[in-house]
Amino acid sequence: MSLVRFATWLLLLVLVVASGLQVARTSQEVRSLHVLREQAQREQDEHLAEYSRLLIERAALSAYQSVERTARDELGMSFPEDVERIEP
Amino acid sequence: MKLWRHYTVVGLFVVSCAGLVARVVYLNVTQREFLQQQGDARSIRFETLPAYRGVVYDRLGEPLAVSTPVVAVWTDPSLTRFDATTLRALTEVLDLDRVALERRLGAQAKREFMYVKRRVPWKKAEQLRALGLEGVFFQPEYRRYYPASETTAHVVGVTDVDDVGLEGIELSFNDLLKGQHGRKMVLKDRRGNTVQDLEYLSAPQFGTDLTLSLDLRLQFFAYRELKAAVAVYRAVSASLVMLDVRTGEILALVNLPSYNPNDLSNNHYQGMRNRAVTDAYEPGSTVKPFTVLAALESGRYRPSTLIDTNPGYFRVGRKLVEDRRNFGVISLGEVLQKSSQVGIARVALALDERAVYDVLNRAGAGAYVGTGLPGESIGKLSDRGLGNPVMRATLAYGYGLAVSPLQLARAYLSLATFGIRIPVSVVKQNDPPKGRRVFDADRVGEVLDMMVGVTEDGGTAPKARVTGYRVAGKTGTSRKVGSAGYDDRRHVALFAGIVPATNPRIVMVVVVNEPQGKNISGGTVAAPIFSRVAARTMRLLGVKPDSPVSPSRSV
Repeated sequence: MSLVRFATWLLLLVLVVASGLQVARTSQEVRSLHVLREQAQREQDEHLAEYSRLLIERAALSAYQSVERTARDELGMSFPEDVERIEP
Repeated sequence: MKLWRHYTVVGLFVVSCAGLVARVVYLNVTQREFLQQQGDARSIRFETLPAYRGVVYDRLGEPLAVSTPVVAVWTDPSLTRFDATTLRALTEVLDLDRVALERRLGAQAKREFMYVKRRVPWKKAEQLRALGLEGVFFQPEYRRYYPASETTAHVVGVTDVDDVGLEGIELSFNDLLKGQHGRKMVLKDRRGNTVQDLEYLSAPQFGTDLTLSLDLRLQFFAYRELKAAVAVYRAVSASLVMLDVRTGEILALVNLPSYNPNDLSNNHYQGMRNRAVTDAYEPGSTVKPFTVLAALESGRYRPSTLIDTNPGYFRVGRKLVEDRRNFGVISLGEVLQKSSQVGIARVALALDERAVYDVLNRAGAGAYVGTGLPGESIGKLSDRGLGNPVMRATLAYGYGLAVSPLQLARAYLSLATFGIRIPVSVVKQNDPPKGRRVFDADRVGEVLDMMVGVTEDGGTAPKARVTGYRVAGKTGTSRKVGSAGYDDRRHVALFAGIVPATNPRIVMVVVVNEPQGKNISGGTVAAPIFSRVAARTMRLLGVKPDSPVSPSRSV
C-alpha cells in the first residue's frame, strides 16, 4: 500500500517537474517566434517599401509625357498628323 | 523573571505576522482585481498595426495611388528630456529645425505623446533606430503617393495624414481600400520601451486593390489639351469626360484647374473640385439632338421636313428667339446642323407639352449618374411650367435646365448606343453592363446622321472633325447667369460628340467655362479640343476608320 502511494507521489512529482519544464520551453519558444515575427514584419515592410518604390518608378518611366519625349527627341519619331491609306 | 520578555517578543512577532498575513489575504483576495488592473494600466499597452492600403490602378494596370511604408517618430515629453546629442541626432537625421523642435518640446512638456515627425521615410527611420536613442519611439504608418499627380487628381482623390480618404475614389471606396488594422498587446517598462510582445490580437488585413476604368494615356492627353485651351482662352475652368460606348466606362475625366495630391501644403482649394461631376451648367444647344429626337418620335417630322425660320427671329410671349442670321426655309437636319434657335423652338412648340422633357428625362438629364464619385450634382430638369410656351421653347435649345458634364455625356451615351441607357462606371467592368432601351434604334440612327452634318461643311463645328472618322456631335454656347439675369459676357462653350458615328466607340463632352476673347463659341473653343483628343483616342484604341480616305499610295 505504501509502495503504491510512494509510486503515485513519484509519478506526480515527475509530471509536475516535466510540465514546469514544458512551460519554460514553451515561453522560450513563444519569445523566439515573436522575434521571428518581428523580423518577418520588418522584412515585409522593407519589401513593401521596395515594391511601392518600384511601382512609382515604373509609373514615372511609363508616363505619357516621358514616353512621348523619348520617342520624339531621342528616337526621332513623330505623330502622324495626316491619315494615309495604303492599299495592298 | 525574564520569561515575560520572552513571551512579549513572541507575542509581538505573532501579532505582526498575523497582521502581514491578513494584509496579504486582503490584497490577494479582496483587492486583487483592482490591483491587477492598475498594474496592467501602467505596463500593458495596445498598439495598432496599420494595414497596407490597396493600390489604385488604371485600366491597363498603371498605378494611380500607391502606399509606401513610412514611420512616425514620437516621444513622451512628460518622461523624456532629450540631451544635446539626442537633439542633434534627431534634427540632423529628420532634417528638423532645432529651435522649433525645442519650442515644441517645451510647449508640450506635460503631454505624454508628441510626434517628433510624421511620414519619415523608412530608410531614415532605420538610421535613427540604429542609434538607439533613449525615449524615441517609432510607429509604422503609410503615406499615399500619386504617380499621375494632377492628371488624375479629381477622380482618384486624396487621403489625409491618417490615411483616410478625403476626396474622389479614395473617399468613396475608402472601406474597400483601407483594409483592417491589426492590434497587438505589449508590455512596456517605466520609460515606455516595449519589453515584450504579449499577444497578437489580430493581424492587419491588407486593403483591396482597385482597378479604375480610366485609361491613363487618354487622361494625360486630355489634360494637356484642356490645359492648353484654358491658357489660350484664359478660361475659368474646363472639363472633359470620355465614355466607352460598349461598357459605359469612364475612359477619361479631366478638370482644370487641378491640384497636386502629393503636396497639399500650399493648396488653394478651388482646384480640388471635380467640376465635371459637381458643377451643373445650362447645356445650351447641345440638347438640340434630343429635341429633334422628340420631333421624330412624334411621327410628324422626318429629317427632311422643311421648317420656316423666316425672318430669323420670332416672339414667344415676351421672349425674343433669334438666330445669328436668317436661315430661311431649311430642313430639320439643317436646323440641327446650323443650330437654328428659331427652327428648333418652332419644332418644340408644335410638339406635345411634355415631349422634349420626356426625351431628356429618358436620356438621364436631371438624374444621378451614380458612378460613386463624391459630390455628384443632380443638375436640374423639372416638368413644372411646361404649360408655358416660353419654357418649352427655351428647353428645346438648352436653357432652363442644368446638367453636369458627366450627365451630358451619359445623355449622349444613350444616343451612341442607339437608344439603350447603360450605367456609367468609374470602376473597370469585366462584363458589358445590362442596359434598358429608352429610344427607338432607327430614330436615334436618323438623329446621329443629322448630327454628322454638324461637323461637315456648313455645320457649326467643322473643327471637331477627325480625319478618317465620321463625327456626330453638337456644339453649344450658353450664357451664364449673372447678378442681373443672363450675362452677355460670360459664356460656357460646349461640344458633345460621338465617334465613329457609324459604329460608335466613344462619347466625349468638352466644356470650357468662361473663355475670353472675340469668338468663343462651342464650335471654335471646345470642338478643336474634341477633335485632337478624339483623333489620338481612335488611334490608341485601334478603332477602324468609317470614313473613306482616298488611298494615297498602293503597296
